[in-house]
Amino acid sequence: MTEAEIIEALLAFIDRDGATEAEFERVALDVFAYQFANNQPYRRFAIQRARTTLTVRHWRDIPAVPITAFKDLTLSCSPPERAQRVFMTSGTTQGGVRGCSYHPMLSVYDRSMLVNFRARLMKGLERIEMGILFPDEEAMPNSSLAHYLALAKRECGTAASEGFIGADGLDLARLIAALERAQASGQPYALLGASYSFVHLLDALAAEGRRFALPEGSRILDTGGFKGQSREMGADAFYDALSDALGVPRSACINMYGMTELSTQFYDDGNATCPPVKSGPHWIRSRVVDPVSGRDLPEGSTGVLVHHDLAHFNCVSAILTEDAGIMVEGGFRLLGRVDGADSKGCSLAVAEFLKAARG
Amino acid sequence: MTEFAGHLPGLSTEEVEWRVLDFAAWGESVQVSVPVLSEAQSLALAARVRENARAYLKTRSVAQIVATLDKAVARLLDRDDPWRRKAEALLPIVTGYDAETVRLGLSGYLRTFRAPQLQRFLAEDFANPAVLDAFQPAMKGGFTRAHGPELLLHVWAGNVPGLPLWSLISGLLVKAGTVGKVASAEPLLAGWFARVLGEIDPRMGECLAIVWWKGGDADSEQVWLDQADTVVAFGGNAALTAIRDRAPVTARFLAHGHKIGFGLVSAAALDTRRAGPLARLVAHDVMRYEQQGCYAPQMLFVERGGKISPRDFAEQVSRELAGFARRHPRRALSVAEAAGVASWRNAEEMRAFDGEGRVVLGDAADPWSVVLVEEAEPLAPSGLNRTLKIVAVDRLDDVIPLIAPFRAFLQSAAVAATPEELFRIAALLGEAGVTRICAFGRMTAPEAGWHNDGRFNLLDLVTITEIEQSAELAAEGFADYVD
Repeated sequence: MTEAEIIEALLAFIDRDGATEAEFERVALDVFAYQFANNQPYRRFAIQRARTTLTVRHWRDIPAVPITAFKDLTLSCSPPERAQRVFMTSGTTQGGVRGCSYHPMLSVYDRSMLVNFRARLMKGLERIEMGILFPDEEAMPNSSLAHYLALAKRECGTAASEGFIGADGLDLARLIAALERAQASGQPYALLGASYSFVHLLDALAAEGRRFALPEGSRILDTGGFKGQSREMGADAFYDALSDALGVPRSACINMYGMTELSTQFYDDGNATCPPVKSGPHWIRSRVVDPVSGRDLPEGSTGVLVHHDLAHFNCVSAILTEDAGIMVEGGFRLLGRVDGADSKGCSLAVAEFLKAARG
Repeated sequence: MTEFAGHLPGLSTEEVEWRVLDFAAWGESVQVSVPVLSEAQSLALAARVRENARAYLKTRSVAQIVATLDKAVARLLDRDDPWRRKAEALLPIVTGYDAETVRLGLSGYLRTFRAPQLQRFLAEDFANPAVLDAFQPAMKGGFTRAHGPELLLHVWAGNVPGLPLWSLISGLLVKAGTVGKVASAEPLLAGWFARVLGEIDPRMGECLAIVWWKGGDADSEQVWLDQADTVVAFGGNAALTAIRDRAPVTARFLAHGHKIGFGLVSAAALDTRRAGPLARLVAHDVMRYEQQGCYAPQMLFVERGGKISPRDFAEQVSRELAGFARRHPRRALSVAEAAGVASWRNAEEMRAFDGEGRVVLGDAADPWSVVLVEEAEPLAPSGLNRTLKIVAVDRLDDVIPLIAPFRAFLQSAAVAATPEELFRIAALLGEAGVTRICAFGRMTAPEAGWHNDGRFNLLDLVTITEIEQSAELAAEGFADYVD
């Protein structure tokens, strides 16, 4: 298949109402064949794992690339210099080395994001007034989250929607004014951004002694965790505090789980109880594996998540994450990052070593 | 099965609140109840231990203390002793290490604490150990005496069986009132040792307590830190910093942070006759306690130019690791540990794609991993749990710049080389910060009297009281026999 054919097939697949496992598998095998033919480092990786287009018969057999590979290898089916956009990881986890995802064009990424976002966050609303707690695309051109939020604002936000993180950080005065307007208007309001920015907001509101009761139908979307950019908060404390400060029930506080190495996001249906069940649309499927052998674990066992995202067609679709998870009815529960444990003795382990090396 | 951890002289089981920790491995499970003391109980216990040590332990001679410790160690070495049987039955379930590793490890470790070894331990730090019993004449004139802490607090970490005994015994040798905080990962052995001591000498048993609080529980920790005049703490630098910052400024704080062990193999050791047995010893050090102890090797530097190439030696080490995997199966890994192993191996595999000169040996699903790198690479941790990187170098001296930047994390290095090479490279390693140089096969079994982290383990604990010559001479002037 050519790039144009793959893109056309994927756009059509995304636009369907759903897909059975067999239907997913057919497209997954096509995408694997495309990546095997056009992505040379991935081809070598697959051959080393004895997985080729001749031996792979099921989507679960398609070899998953560990996300660390995005830092060491150039994983792209099209020439990377022709990419319309390159999304990069923040480089906080591996000594400043940033993993790259190349997008020859953003049509599939954008379609995947919007179809899913409308279903999971908009829930029937055409548009909603949005406040964005993240820098814009101009400030962070290589951030997939900046692009995601810009797309949300442009396609699903009202004209009054605005971003509140500038070069000087959170513009609290402007945000408070927006929240006051929203509260008075009676129209639902959506606040979207990085989890750590919400912590900064909570601290700032607490310092000013401010609380809001946003109108019914208002919603919150946070993503990405705290990443050392704010104090760490437990999930329950975090959503209790958000709910308390903004008057949005925990069931309307949605957490998005996404990665630079994917073109599709996962959502929960609110955080009334934590950890909630996360799920994605029909063009992404997940497995829980034993990280050492790469084999599937039985449902109910804790392991490491593998995501198979057809929309990430230009890089690799199957990735082995560093996130622990457990498969449950209707999706999976996300149990946090596993970047290797401290030793059980006095041996120095990788995580502490890297931390020391970063100073 | 429920087992009570800790040793709380003066407190009955009923008075204390207990928390249950669940352990399971090798198809068996055990529940360990650990004590959760109230602040009042902790304060009372601290006072009791301090007072008992003053009234009894400090009045005993070092020789008497050595004799009692020796009896306790003998009990734990005796495979028919109920305590020893309990240790052999429960520690594999608690720690996950296989039963044979626990049995051999315990015996090997405890042997270094018999009376002759304890005397060596004392002799290493004190020219005249009697200085712990009474004033002894000093070379410069006058007299000196060494006093141990009134209340010594140990904060232990990790699950390598026996490691806490090292500092526990050090404290008792200098007659310290002793409180040890056990780690949740192995909360049992220190308490058993204290109870055995109590069976042998009940009054000595009341001079020490073994307690528990959840790691990071700042409130419980603070109560104890405020009581101690000396604190010995083990753990990662983040945990140590947190403890140090809360310890009273007047308390002596002795930290043992995480370390990274490595080995050097000279070309002289790599002929067809010697390489095989050496590979087995290397694999043994990697396998024993799954590289959890700081003395275990995580990286090997192998000199080119021998009859056996670094690549072939890496293959031999791999074969030996495969053999050990059958006799001593790797303990079941937590998801985080498995992810650590996988992420280390994956990263190496990815780099191996990028060019020649890097080989990942074995299958991803094997319970061990060896990576051979032909180009010099600085020291770095492996994924632990039987993962080893072997780096080929042209000359052993090339290793020094590869380890020198990590001075704060250096401790043990094994060397396989000719006598001449050993002393030359040892001088360079010592300058770079290595404090222990041993043979392969002995990395996880430091010898008796070892200076852990290059420190004087007993001397660091004591304070010296000096009677200066002037006082002695002045006293002469006040004697009733003065003319």
